[in-house]
Amino acid sequence: MTWSWSETALLVVVLLGLVLWLVWLTASRLDRLHRKVVASRHALQAQLDRRGRVCVDLASSGLLDPASAVLLADAALAALDSPDRPAEPRPSEAFALTGLPAERERAESALSMTLRSVLEDPDDVAELRSTATGDDLVGDLYSSWYRAQLARRFHNEAVAQARRARRPRAVRWLRLAGRAPLPRTVELDDQMPAGLEGA
Amino acid sequence: MRPLRVGIVCPYSFDAPGGVQFHVRDLAEALRDGGHEVSVLAPADEDTEVPDVVTPAGRAVPVRYNGSVARLAFGPRAAARVRRWIDAGRFDVLHLHEPMTPSLSMLALWVADGPVVATFHTSQVRSRALQIAHPLLRQSLEKISARIAVSEDARRTLVEHLGGDAVVVPNGVYVDDFDVPPAPRWQGTPEAPTVAFLGRLDEPRKGLQVLAAAAPRILAEVPGARFLVAGRGDEGRADAEAALGEHAGAFEWLGGVSDADKATLLASADLYIAPQTGGESFGIVLVEAMSAGAGVVASDLGAFRRVLDDGAAGRLFRTGDPQDLAATVLAALADPDGTEERRRRAHRFVRGFDWSQVTARVLAVYEMAVAASEALGDGAVRQDLLAGRATWLLGRGPRLRGGEDR
Repeated sequence: MTWSWSETALLVVVLLGLVLWLVWLTASRLDRLHRKVVASRHALQAQLDRRGRVCVDLASSGLLDPASAVLLADAALAALDSPDRPAEPRPSEAFALTGLPAERERAESALSMTLRSVLEDPDDVAELRSTATGDDLVGDLYSSWYRAQLARRFHNEAVAQARRARRPRAVRWLRLAGRAPLPRTVELDDQMPAGLEGA
Repeated sequence: MRPLRVGIVCPYSFDAPGGVQFHVRDLAEALRDGGHEVSVLAPADEDTEVPDVVTPAGRAVPVRYNGSVARLAFGPRAAARVRRWIDAGRFDVLHLHEPMTPSLSMLALWVADGPVVATFHTSQVRSRALQIAHPLLRQSLEKISARIAVSEDARRTLVEHLGGDAVVVPNGVYVDDFDVPPAPRWQGTPEAPTVAFLGRLDEPRKGLQVLAAAAPRILAEVPGARFLVAGRGDEGRADAEAALGEHAGAFEWLGGVSDADKATLLASADLYIAPQTGGESFGIVLVEAMSAGAGVVASDLGAFRRVLDDGAAGRLFRTGDPQDLAATVLAALADPDGTEERRRRAHRFVRGFDWSQVTARVLAVYEMAVAASEALGDGAVRQDLLAGRATWLLGRGPRLRGGEDR
């Protein structure tokens, strides 16, 4: 049996339609995942910012010894001042798919380390909490820190999903991800001090 | 934090309540007490008595799935109901329980878009059906903004079988509800201590047969010991009595007990035995027993080990080993001071499982899911208009217009 001209054309049209439909499906999936990456990064950044501000408040509250206060203020300001996106973002990066700049990650890790040494002892934390202001500040610190931990997990999860979705060869050849840069996870030290965890 | 409108979906029927249903009910109650608006969608018959927070989603069908029979709701009619519930609810966040169980939660994940939180309860074995359906489910899974596992074990299963990560938020217990006075009829004496067992009798995973096999050795040392067994399942009882033979008289069969009686039993008995042989991802009943002040002897499953603070809040024995169970029970009975010390530790340790703390942690997860969605101006939960497009193209999709599902 030979295929007539019209049958072949029909077959081609159907196949082409199917391929286009699959391409559209994949592209919309990628778009959804990219949005998720950006959204979760915003949520993470908001909590890190909040943690930084609480630390500045804590350092200026007069509840800490002066040495701890200076160290904490220094680390917190460094974290807050460090740029939260690459210095000269290319237009494609303005949507911030590539996580946090390494500088910011380092500053946040350093702040975590400083906080761990300042709030290492559960008894010190308990004493801090004995005043109303101290209790508020420590409560805020715990709350923003715990949420930052959650947000980072959810963000990295989204990044992993997006990267997985971009791996197939067809996706790369057809450039279905557009010009969006490959998303990057946020890696930083957010281990809480033991004294705070029980708070 | 502003009050949220929370939609919770429970995959299992309230006609035959179990652990997940109780968890959903209590979570909804705790959230409501915190000033949030909550609606729960769950399968239930029209005439089944359900808590008033629950919207019944129609009859659940008993189906064999993954080795046991579960009452689930599925199909286009159920999907249509889920759609209407999502439309009407205008939720800030959707909280799905067991979204990998083929029931309402899976449907909700399929048809919803927006901030979605999912809780994984079981540490079930790998299901081949899930593997086959995985390409279909993957897109749905990617819609989850935040994943919760109820225990380290549930998290590990999730990581191994589905990939990705989750945060651990334990199941909650109203700890104070178990602080009840003991009942003399179930209290033991030094000569006749009481040992309690709770759970289905005909479900081998609950381990009644392990206790029955250990009983003769315990009775040889402590002839007066009384075994109080609460739970349904005549077959299991008959098997246990046959295995016990002459010792059967030491077992008292209480049948199914109410929540109040359960608390009283746990508060009265000298020891509570949890001889489960597997399939436990959390061990809520251990937390309940600790809240009631019972001394606990449990098999050393990973989940139990963690709930018992690695043995500091209760004794552990080798899972499924009656000899070791007997030895551990005898050691516990011979060392009231050690048991008392564990009981005191347990009392402090269970505070972390109280609903007040658990709800705060769940709310933090909601908050992050909502914050991420709001960052892009995406806002609340809505219907996913893409969902079902593939089947719709084939002309088999659920009929949405008009909301008629009869």
